Amino acid sequence: MHPPAANLKIHPAEIATLLRGESEAISGWSEQWNPPRLLLHLTVIVLGAGCYGAAMGWWRDPQQALFVAIKFPLIILLTMLGNALINAMLAPLLGLNIPFRQSFSAILMSHTIAAAILGAFSPLMAFLTWNAPLMTTQAISLPAYNLIKLAHVAVITFAGTMGNVRLLQLLVRLGGSRDVAFRVLFAWLAGNLFLGSQLSWILRPFIGSPTLPVQFFRDGALHGNFYENVLSSILHVFPND
Amino acid sequence: MNENNPVPPQIPPSESAQKFAAKIYEPVPPPPLSGPRPLGDDPAERVPIPHAFAAIEALLRQPRRLLFQLRQPGAGELIAAMLFTAFVSSLIYGVVAGTFSGGTQLWIAPVKIAAGLMISAGICLPSLYIFTCLSGSQARLSEVAGLLAGMLMLMTILLIGFAPVAWIFSQSTESVLWMGLLHLIFWLVATLFGVRFMKAGYSHANAKSHAGLNVWIIIFLLVALQMTTALRPILGKSETFFPTEKKFFVGHWFDCLKSSVSESRSNGRD
Repeated sequence: MHPPAANLKIHPAEIATLLRGESEAISGWSEQWNPPRLLLHLTVIVLGAGCYGAAMGWWRDPQQALFVAIKFPLIILLTMLGNALINAMLAPLLGLNIPFRQSFSAILMSHTIAAAILGAFSPLMAFLTWNAPLMTTQAISLPAYNLIKLAHVAVITFAGTMGNVRLLQLLVRLGGSRDVAFRVLFAWLAGNLFLGSQLSWILRPFIGSPTLPVQFFRDGALHGNFYENVLSSILHVFPND
Repeated sequence: MNENNPVPPQIPPSESAQKFAAKIYEPVPPPPLSGPRPLGDDPAERVPIPHAFAAIEALLRQPRRLLFQLRQPGAGELIAAMLFTAFVSSLIYGVVAGTFSGGTQLWIAPVKIAAGLMISAGICLPSLYIFTCLSGSQARLSEVAGLLAGMLMLMTILLIGFAPVAWIFSQSTESVLWMGLLHLIFWLVATLFGVRFMKAGYSHANAKSHAGLNVWIIIFLLVALQMTTALRPILGKSETFFPTEKKFFVGHWFDCLKSSVSESRSNGRD
């Protein structure tokens, strides 16, 4: 049944509903395509993750800030699109009989929550960066670098965790079983982490390095992959001498 | 007194009543893949499956419907549609696998993957039927073939789901070993779900034991893995369509691993 036209109207304040994790309303949203709502969520992802990316890249150079502001939302959107099909197939196979539309909406909303949190933290990160010693080719303050890196890890972890907590609540409501919801969330997370790590590797750098030029892609962006690099590092820890 | 008050006083529900109510109104989870219920007891399972797309939908969301339809007279068309879907899906996945090397591999890889999968299934079908009979099942050959076709279709449909991820990785690495490992992982995940479907179907075939099916699953895995070596190279390039040297897959993998590790170490020393 098609929803009445009035239901298609949305308000930006709906993001607060999303952040509060009001499962009843959110599960209702996931049941139908609503282009204005889809646009709102995409806008939050682009703006929230974009602002956070800008704060991350600003330390190296304003141009780096622009690049990371584009790359950060791009990783989220490409991961979501790349895994959309397999995620939609895995949900019914793991016991959650929801259509493609609903699985896509659920994941989109969890990313919207994470992006909204990232966006809210971006002024704080920008302030932290502004207070840090300049990143120059002559010298880089290691304590400052480590502090900024750890702060980013903490904020991104928090945003990701909150997005997934809300996603789990939604899945429990949609599936009616905590076990099924955990299974589906785990499968989706595994896929998203697997692809997301590789996309982050391709789209590096983010914070940037004072000794390397400001670039959108590193020269060897498409040579090698994240996991190959990890394996290679492990092999070089144990030289064959 | 009471006659003047038609509305009875509100009595708060007891805790057990609340739990009971919560249980009744709890959303009903989707039907399990297998269960003691006989196939077709739900009217939705009796709805015919008219075409391949409906078969895909049924395989993912209503596997019991597909299992019921496979037992009906005239299931041959459905089985043919499922095999055709599996063949086309494996061709699509093969094209994605072929993008790693490009050039002639864009047609060689899909042909080898699709043919390899179908030949593996063909080789293993007789033994599956024998194991089914030995386990005391009354299933006909067409039912067993239907289960195998369902397994292949589910596997290849899932592989298409993995295809965008495989494509991104194939564009960002030059290591055949790494890409081979990635495709193997995707294939194993897809096979896991395919085997689950097969077991669900088997549980309705009145088999006394699943031991025969478990042995057959191991045989199928070994045949499919050996097929990847017999038809090599699927990812890399070669001057000949078929390999010039005979090898077992374990030996081939070990050789690949050895050369890749030594290459990685020598690159690190440059």
